[in-house]
Amino acid sequence: MPRKFGTADFTSGLALAALATYIILRARQWEYLGPDGPGPGFFPLWYGIAMAALSGVLVISSVWRERSTGVEWKKIGRALAVWFALAVSIAALKPLGFVVSLAALTFFIAAVMYRRPPALAAALAVANAAAFYVLFPLALGVPLPAGVLGF
Amino acid sequence: MQGFAVALQPANLLWCLVGVVLGTVVGILPGLGPPATIAMLLPLTFLMNPAGAMIMLAGIYYGAKYGGSTTSILLNVPGESASVVTCLDGYPMALQGRAGAALGIAAIASFIAGTVGVLGLMLVAPPLAKIALSFSSPEYFALMALGLAMVVLLAGRSMMKALLAMLVGLWIAGIGTDPFSTTSRFTFGRMELLSGVDFVVVAIGVFAIGEVLANMEAREETQLLPVPKGLRNLLPTVQDLKDCRFAFANGSVVGFLIGVLPGAGSTIASFISYGLEKAVSRRRDRFGTGVVEGVAAPEGANNSETGGALVPLLTLGIPGSGTTAVLLAALVLWGFKPGPLFIPENPALFWGLVASMYIGNVMLLVLNLPLVPVFAQVLRAPVFVLYPVIFGISIVGVYSTSGSLFDVALLAAFGLLGYVMRKLDYPAAPLILGLVLGAAMERALRQSLMMSEGSLSILVARPISAVMLSLALLILLIPFFTKVNAWRLRALGS
Amino acid sequence: MAFAGSLAEMAPAQGFQPTRPIEVVVHTGPGGGSDLLARAVALMVEREKLLPVRMQVANKTGGGGAVAAAYLAEKRGDQNTIGFFTGVWLTSPLTSKEATISLRDLTPIARLVLEPAVIAVKADAPYKTLADFVAAAKQNPAQLKQSGGSITSRDNVVRQLLQKHTGARWAFISFPGGGERMAALLGGHVNMMVIEPAEAGEHIRAGNIRVLAQVSDRRLPGFPEVPTLKEAGFNLPAVPQVRGVVAPPGIPKENVAYWEDVFLKLTRSASWRKFLDDNQFEDGYQNAAELAKFYDAFTARMRDILEDAGIKTVR
Repeated sequence: MPRKFGTADFTSGLALAALATYIILRARQWEYLGPDGPGPGFFPLWYGIAMAALSGVLVISSVWRERSTGVEWKKIGRALAVWFALAVSIAALKPLGFVVSLAALTFFIAAVMYRRPPALAAALAVANAAAFYVLFPLALGVPLPAGVLGF
Repeated sequence: MQGFAVALQPANLLWCLVGVVLGTVVGILPGLGPPATIAMLLPLTFLMNPAGAMIMLAGIYYGAKYGGSTTSILLNVPGESASVVTCLDGYPMALQGRAGAALGIAAIASFIAGTVGVLGLMLVAPPLAKIALSFSSPEYFALMALGLAMVVLLAGRSMMKALLAMLVGLWIAGIGTDPFSTTSRFTFGRMELLSGVDFVVVAIGVFAIGEVLANMEAREETQLLPVPKGLRNLLPTVQDLKDCRFAFANGSVVGFLIGVLPGAGSTIASFISYGLEKAVSRRRDRFGTGVVEGVAAPEGANNSETGGALVPLLTLGIPGSGTTAVLLAALVLWGFKPGPLFIPENPALFWGLVASMYIGNVMLLVLNLPLVPVFAQVLRAPVFVLYPVIFGISIVGVYSTSGSLFDVALLAAFGLLGYVMRKLDYPAAPLILGLVLGAAMERALRQSLMMSEGSLSILVARPISAVMLSLALLILLIPFFTKVNAWRLRALGS
Repeated sequence: MAFAGSLAEMAPAQGFQPTRPIEVVVHTGPGGGSDLLARAVALMVEREKLLPVRMQVANKTGGGGAVAAAYLAEKRGDQNTIGFFTGVWLTSPLTSKEATISLRDLTPIARLVLEPAVIAVKADAPYKTLADFVAAAKQNPAQLKQSGGSITSRDNVVRQLLQKHTGARWAFISFPGGGERMAALLGGHVNMMVIEPAEAGEHIRAGNIRVLAQVSDRRLPGFPEVPTLKEAGFNLPAVPQVRGVVAPPGIPKENVAYWEDVFLKLTRSASWRKFLDDNQFEDGYQNAAELAKFYDAFTARMRDILEDAGIKTVR
């Protein structure tokens, strides 16, 4: 059966093989068999070996498959842009607090990703963040990260 | 019986209602789980009589299981760790416009299984508890091995990728301090990783965030999910109920039995029940695409697990999970002494609790079913509203369990992983399976070897573990048999 | 009542008064040991009106106290935060490189309780005294088994001390949850365990287990007939499990004095007495200076014990 992601398998297989190598190398630094039974190195070594073997097979078999029909970079770009925005807003949790970060993220998604009018996006951002603030720290007493602004 | 006399007192009925409603809400909100809620309510319970308090707290416990399925089905956000299995078929059902049917089946399965769980608690608790004591590390290892063998059934298109995902899950499970030797493994020097990676972080990251990222690819604004039109899709059909006949039984029994084992947990119960359902179902190849019994089985299992978990707690005073540990603390706080003599010495409390659990299950069914069409309307919200809300819920869910911004950062990392896995066609379920079982399995194996002073034979010398290991082996060989069979048929055909 | 008199005592130390809710940091999740203790203390403090503000529990889980300790260290100078520590806060920095904050990096306030323990076997076991068990272990080296917590927990420390003292050897099997440890004992999969008296009580009443000795300096009220380690002929220190209060580093002296005062009053109150009795804890109150000394002695002894057990210490 032809697969669409021949090169994708190849790359992911390599990545996993690299991870497996790392695991095996670290596992060998720990005790394999101690006086009371298997040590910390036992399990990781074995699943590292299994991972290495399987990823090797994946890499090799991917070379036999049809090449991928083309990667839709534009779509992936959109997804990664959102992820980047998420990462930034999470990094902002400490200095700016949850409310501000979530509002900013909401605005970004609505205005930039989905091209909604800025006014609507801003209103949404405020509403979303406020709803969370009211529900969690105020009503339920579940603390959310508070930044320099105090909330 | 005397129990119903206690349970039907107006005050206790009220506490039951409060408990189950609160539990449902708590289950819907990711991160805020029953242990936290119960701990926070403990001071309040001093103002109540112990029976009422116990009834309420138990209501929260199993109520949360009902609520947990809601976000799993609608948003692919596991509301509770055990609900992650519900995402596998529940969310695809929602994508097909059958969210109402999925939610309804979840409620019905939970009701049936919850009732069976209470029946079990009532009828077989003491003898079952004694049998459960004969379960120890070798049996747990065999149980986990059986669970891991289920990956074969969860594989989907590529067995290799499923196995690789499972191995990555095993690796993540191994991050942290090795309990037997104080060696830190794969912590990259970060103290936050000393206790390992929280399951909630991985599950919400891979499922919820990964899903949102994948959906972001499409520029056109589509409504998130086709809104179910007409009553047919708002509730399960008669055909659905018929399809789930075995799932109801499966979930009830498997969940209860696994719940009785201290330390086994509802996530494992859900996985095993799901795997079993898939193994015996005629449409096993369609699992993962929105098959209704794929929702009924795990939902049932994680509800009857509640009844099961109460068995060791109430008959022996041994807590089997986080929530039962808090319940134990509550009992002690109120001046009770949970232990082998608890039931004989407090019959009114015990039977009152049992009776109230029947009532609570009925209440939950009555409350949840009509709400199903209401919840399904959530999906009407346009995506640019829904996705930021999902992000917010995910962050809060993670932050409220551990209070750690590091975990929130990990959430983002696993979100990316979830997206990448989706693009590269790696199934997420085996990853979660490996994560859930990995640490427990390693512990069980090393404990077993310590018990037997290094001899592996302990695993097969004991009957229960031998049986389970053989089952696991058989399951692992299924794909082999089916391939051989297909090959044979093809050879015969030509 | 003590309260009226204490107002007068408090007047000189008026330098500090909390104005915001007090953040109480614990290293367990909701429902865990430290969390429940913190909530119980918050309740008692409210009942006895010892603080003008309320106490709020903040769960900072991870790394056996390492994350909570680091969080407190970050809050340098914060006068409205305290934390509840347990023994694991003291041992983690010894065994894990990543646990960088020790109690010495924080401000000790008070030690509150000592949790004693008892040594128990299944009721149908052939051992009637601890000496019986040790003798059996000597005859069958490494064959008897004990269930317990992690390898640095008090359970194992007791085992290490006994083994060193008597020359006997038996295996130690870690179970993460207390329930599983008890299940292992009751199911006959292990021979002995060290457990808290509160847990043991009910099983003894039901006739499932028998207590051989108590790990405590004095006989506990709940176990009048069980010999202590010393009385049973094992001249070993009774290894306590401690719980106490710490605060972030860099807080002014009046702040420390204020906290010391609050907790001293707490431990003198009737609610506290009842709390200790209910949980079978021992009053282990020490003020800040004594706690600091205790910490040094404890970690020095722990280092020796760990090295004897073959566990690497990194600090």
